[in-house]
Amino acid sequence: MAVAYSGGVIMGADSRVSTGTYVANRVSDKVTAIHDKIYLCRSGSAADTQAVSDYVRHYLGAHAIECGRPPLVKTAANLCKRICYANKDRLLASVIVAGVDPYEGGSVYVIPLGGTCAKVPFAIGGSGSTYIYGHVDHVYRPDMTKAECVDFVKTAVERAMARDGSSGGIIRLVDISAEGVQRDFVVVN
Amino acid sequence: MASTGAGYDLSPTTFSNDGRIFQVEYATKAVENSGTTIGIRCSDGVVLGVEKLLTSKMLLKSSNRRVATLDAHCGLVLCGLAADGRQIVGRARDECSNYDEVYGDKIPPRVLAARLADYVHYFTIHGALRPFGTASMIAGYDPCTKTHELYAVEPSGVCLRYFGCALGKGRQSAKSEIEKLDLSTLTCKDALREIAKMIHTVHDESKDKPFALEMAWLTKDTGFEFALVPDDLVQEAEAWAKAKLEEDDDDDDDDDDAEMTPAPPTDAASPS
Amino acid sequence: MAGGVAEKMESSSPMRHTTRPIVTGTSVLGLKYKDGVMLAADTLASYGSLAMFQDMRRISKTGSYTLVGGSGEMSDYAAITHMLEDLDRENKNANDGFEFSPKEIFYYLRAVMYQRRNKFDPLWNSLVVGGFKDGQPFLGCVDLRGTAFEDDVVATGFGAHLALPVMRNKWRPDLEEGEARALLEDCLRVLYYRDCRALDKVQLSKATSEGTRISEPYKLETDWASASFVAGPGGDLDGDGGW
Repeated sequence: MAVAYSGGVIMGADSRVSTGTYVANRVSDKVTAIHDKIYLCRSGSAADTQAVSDYVRHYLGAHAIECGRPPLVKTAANLCKRICYANKDRLLASVIVAGVDPYEGGSVYVIPLGGTCAKVPFAIGGSGSTYIYGHVDHVYRPDMTKAECVDFVKTAVERAMARDGSSGGIIRLVDISAEGVQRDFVVVN
Repeated sequence: MASTGAGYDLSPTTFSNDGRIFQVEYATKAVENSGTTIGIRCSDGVVLGVEKLLTSKMLLKSSNRRVATLDAHCGLVLCGLAADGRQIVGRARDECSNYDEVYGDKIPPRVLAARLADYVHYFTIHGALRPFGTASMIAGYDPCTKTHELYAVEPSGVCLRYFGCALGKGRQSAKSEIEKLDLSTLTCKDALREIAKMIHTVHDESKDKPFALEMAWLTKDTGFEFALVPDDLVQEAEAWAKAKLEEDDDDDDDDDDAEMTPAPPTDAASPS
Repeated sequence: MAGGVAEKMESSSPMRHTTRPIVTGTSVLGLKYKDGVMLAADTLASYGSLAMFQDMRRISKTGSYTLVGGSGEMSDYAAITHMLEDLDRENKNANDGFEFSPKEIFYYLRAVMYQRRNKFDPLWNSLVVGGFKDGQPFLGCVDLRGTAFEDDVVATGFGAHLALPVMRNKWRPDLEEGEARALLEDCLRVLYYRDCRALDKVQLSKATSEGTRISEPYKLETDWASASFVAGPGGDLDGDGGW
């Protein structure tokens, strides 16, 4: 999941990757960098989302060099959308694109299965998300501080991990702001 | 003989002995013989103006436009062969819509100019191709950085950013006129008049073909949307320019009569 | 795009195309009235039964005269909107003052939808095109097969079942703006009550001689007074036995 706060975004994810009911990786990193300050939360097929993020990272890197300035989060989202939309019948990939750029600050975009792209104040995705829609809608307020956002993400992912069999492991957190990117993880007991 | 480079001007793929590519230089000549084209980056926008020479009295004045809109936020003016220019306009429009499709945002003018220069340059490095006999000036607005910019792309593929730029027949005197202006305070409305004056100054009515003054701009007032300058404004600018020129002529005559009179004040808002 | 089908034919795997919508919008309503045309839709994009996006704008402007409302797959609707933006840009680049009429946009969209269905790769939408140009109102509907028709009142999705009969009943060519608006709001309310994929947050839009306007999303007023009929005032045992 990802939330935008004034000047940045907080992203979070559990660390479980499963094949059927077997946990293939219990400490995976599903929050992937596609540029210095733009990250992707991946869900769906690991292979598909890795491929998508590899392409987007490649295009975005070239684009940033051509423009000579940091890319827009909107641009990153649009690149993802193009791939997901054009190959919708071949992919099982749904992603959340979030990050900061100097022009629009922190922003969050979601791209679910069909390749629809929407800008949102916050987003949840993946199998565990369905269990926490009620929770996040209830807790979320616009204009939360950074600390409140971290707390919001942490609790939400924790609740999803507790109820969803396909989610689990640890909580990975990424804070992206103009100042830089900070990673953290939380072990839930 | 060798130093003149004779025989090395048949293809852009061959350098002359002294390191020149004649085909590209000839292409530049085509631009230099064209109607004067002026672009000025003002404090509140960019103004483009062109002296469109009319080859026949029977031509519709608005035909064969030399100013082209590329997208809401950018446009260009052509100087040189009109037919080659249409190719450039087509490519520039494709670049605009393609960038929007891929990156989900308006193309930054800098990127557009660079891509266009790449395109033009390609025609200077292949034996089967002829370089463009056209230069273009691009006026664009960058919504990200909120800046307006002016670029010129020459037949050689060179691309430079300018505060003020002039191409075509009257470029030399137009350039020195632009240098007299204070571009950090000049507004687009004023630039309209200045450009009209420059073009009317360099146009020799006895020698040159009749022309139509075509202008386009991108200003704060139009929300930084590229647009043709409305006819009434162009006419007003032209009327002002003509009046000013006559005035200057009169002043010049006075000067001849009485050498003691001080030099006529220039209308330009220039720091002395 | 050209050759896309042929390429897929050559590859060994069978052709696979859009076979189901994923993120969907429900009904779009439209009607002609005294001053022009009005379009209405809610702002929900559903993911199956999940009300995923509650601020999805499903009516857009193209050019100065035309409104296009879309129901069905929202990624396809975005692609259509983008195509119309390209079309509009080409129009504006010509700088000749010409702009497509709503009718021309309508036939263009019909051609696109029909072409895609012939590739067995339809854009999964029902579109409502409304507009006003040269004193003429226009209202039409195109679906994912390229079926296209014009009418004084149109509705897509659930609206075709629930709203259309209501609109036909109340419709007059000289409907005032207020009446048209009230009628559309009534229909949207009915849809909110009876369509599981509908929302009470809606947008109204109009195309008149003054151009096109789309409202910001706003909440419909709803009435649940009938709930009191289910249980009597004295408690459940006093009720009429209803549920």
